[in-house]
Amino acid sequence: MGYFIQVIIDALSLGSLYALAALGIGLLFGVLRLINFAHGDFITLGAYALIVPAYGPNAIRFVADFHPVLLVICTILIVVAIALISEFLVFRPLRYASAATLMVGSFALSYVIQNLIIMIYSGRPKSLDLWSVLTEIKFDVSGVDIALLPLLIIAVTLILMALLVLFLKRTPWGVQMRAAAEDFKMARMLGVRANFVISLAFVLSGALAAVVSLLFEVQTGILTFRMGTPLMVFAFIATVIGGMGSLVGSVVGGMAVGVVSSILQAGLPPEVRGYRDVFVFGLVILVLLLRPQGIVLSRAARERV
Amino acid sequence: MTTLLKVDNITVHYSRLAAVRNVSVDVSEGEIVCIVGPNGAGKSTTLLTISGILSPTEGTVTFGTKNITGANPENVARMGISQVPEGRHVFTALNVEENLRIGTRMRRDRGEIEKDFNMVLEMFPVLAERKRQSAGKLSGGEQQMLVIGRALLTRPKLMTIDEPSLGLAPKIVDRVYEVLTDLRNRMGLTLLIVEQSSERALKAADRIYVLRSGQIQLSGNAKDLRDGEKVKQAYFGFTEGVKHVGEVAF
Repeated sequence: MGYFIQVIIDALSLGSLYALAALGIGLLFGVLRLINFAHGDFITLGAYALIVPAYGPNAIRFVADFHPVLLVICTILIVVAIALISEFLVFRPLRYASAATLMVGSFALSYVIQNLIIMIYSGRPKSLDLWSVLTEIKFDVSGVDIALLPLLIIAVTLILMALLVLFLKRTPWGVQMRAAAEDFKMARMLGVRANFVISLAFVLSGALAAVVSLLFEVQTGILTFRMGTPLMVFAFIATVIGGMGSLVGSVVGGMAVGVVSSILQAGLPPEVRGYRDVFVFGLVILVLLLRPQGIVLSRAARERV
Repeated sequence: MTTLLKVDNITVHYSRLAAVRNVSVDVSEGEIVCIVGPNGAGKSTTLLTISGILSPTEGTVTFGTKNITGANPENVARMGISQVPEGRHVFTALNVEENLRIGTRMRRDRGEIEKDFNMVLEMFPVLAERKRQSAGKLSGGEQQMLVIGRALLTRPKLMTIDEPSLGLAPKIVDRVYEVLTDLRNRMGLTLLIVEQSSERALKAADRIYVLRSGQIQLSGNAKDLRDGEKVKQAYFGFTEGVKHVGEVAF
């Protein structure tokens, strides 16, 4: 029983991280029809923001030593700033280009960010202990230890989703974003500023990426220049099987991918466990064959801007 | 009457194909002007160029005293041109009230918004009943009322409407035109309407332009063209064999 609960909590916590990353991708896809492959690198940069930019082998703590509240705020601000700069330098000039061109642009951005990290911080992994106490606090549930961190990840995810829903449903800016996501030209003809709505989407996406960075960093305790890439890949898959363009779909897809991975991790025989992702991707292919439009039907993939 | 909108000699290309060539249209304050013409004549292209979705390769668009050629759609809207494009374009993800209010965000006269909002709900009681419903659930006629109400709530100086009769039952089209004429008569709203049916246009408009193959073929006062012969000639480019000029053909 305890083991079962542990698997479920791990599954939900992994699913939460994927869902948060998928939301960041889904928000940008909604307004810009951009599949942002640099989202994983935004996540990486959030973690690197914690240390002093230096080439040495050890991580020198910088933002990581701030008061927790200040730390969270600083990390979010840094990633949001990077997201806005990316928008301005890369995606604004490409705004009227095709979705494929935008995606290639995001690959290029991703490549540039990764190589900048290698230049500034070196390509070596650096260990950074952040709030490891969260992984050490454990509760005893029917003889099995449940750590605090996965519970915290789930809670943070739920809170952020609730805030996002409130923002989109209850605020005028949120209404403008939803309108622009559905019909950008019409929204502009009603005075909704394209630059504003797109920047807003990048701000939200960057903030979500920063939170994922922190949660992921606390969990792994290690920084690598490609740490965000696997998250991005799984989050992208989540948005595809969830239904491109639907935020609910992003969350459902993220949860599904996380839960399936964790259950396979726990359930597969040890000899094949190393090939877990083969099974995950196999299931993804199956979903795409059976339901190519994704789990949640969206108003998506229409003409942009 | 002062000229509110002056489209001067515009040419608009879709990649290399010119959809509209040397088109000029004037609209004076308080006027109802109709652009009529068959499918593919360049009517919608002309409207989309006015609202800044498309940019002309030649010519200028002047609104009031400002040159708005190639301006952003949001800036054109903020200057006071509200467009109701073809196919209505309600936001189905938003409810009726959110749809109506979205255009009010750019207004500076905060105090007037509630008054206008209530006026629109009075004008279209069905929208008041369905304020909280998704706009996608409305019928075609109701959606047309919604987008007209939504455009009105931006408090435009000029409203442009692309085929208000498209896909609507004749009775509902009558109602739409009734509303539009009423808006002009009561509030002095200036209207530029694109219409396929020249009968409708001749009935509703002060002046009409006939557009075919991307060029203006004829323009003049609706009164003078009421018998329809000249319009028919300009519309089809020939008169032989055209016996009846009805709703369907036009």
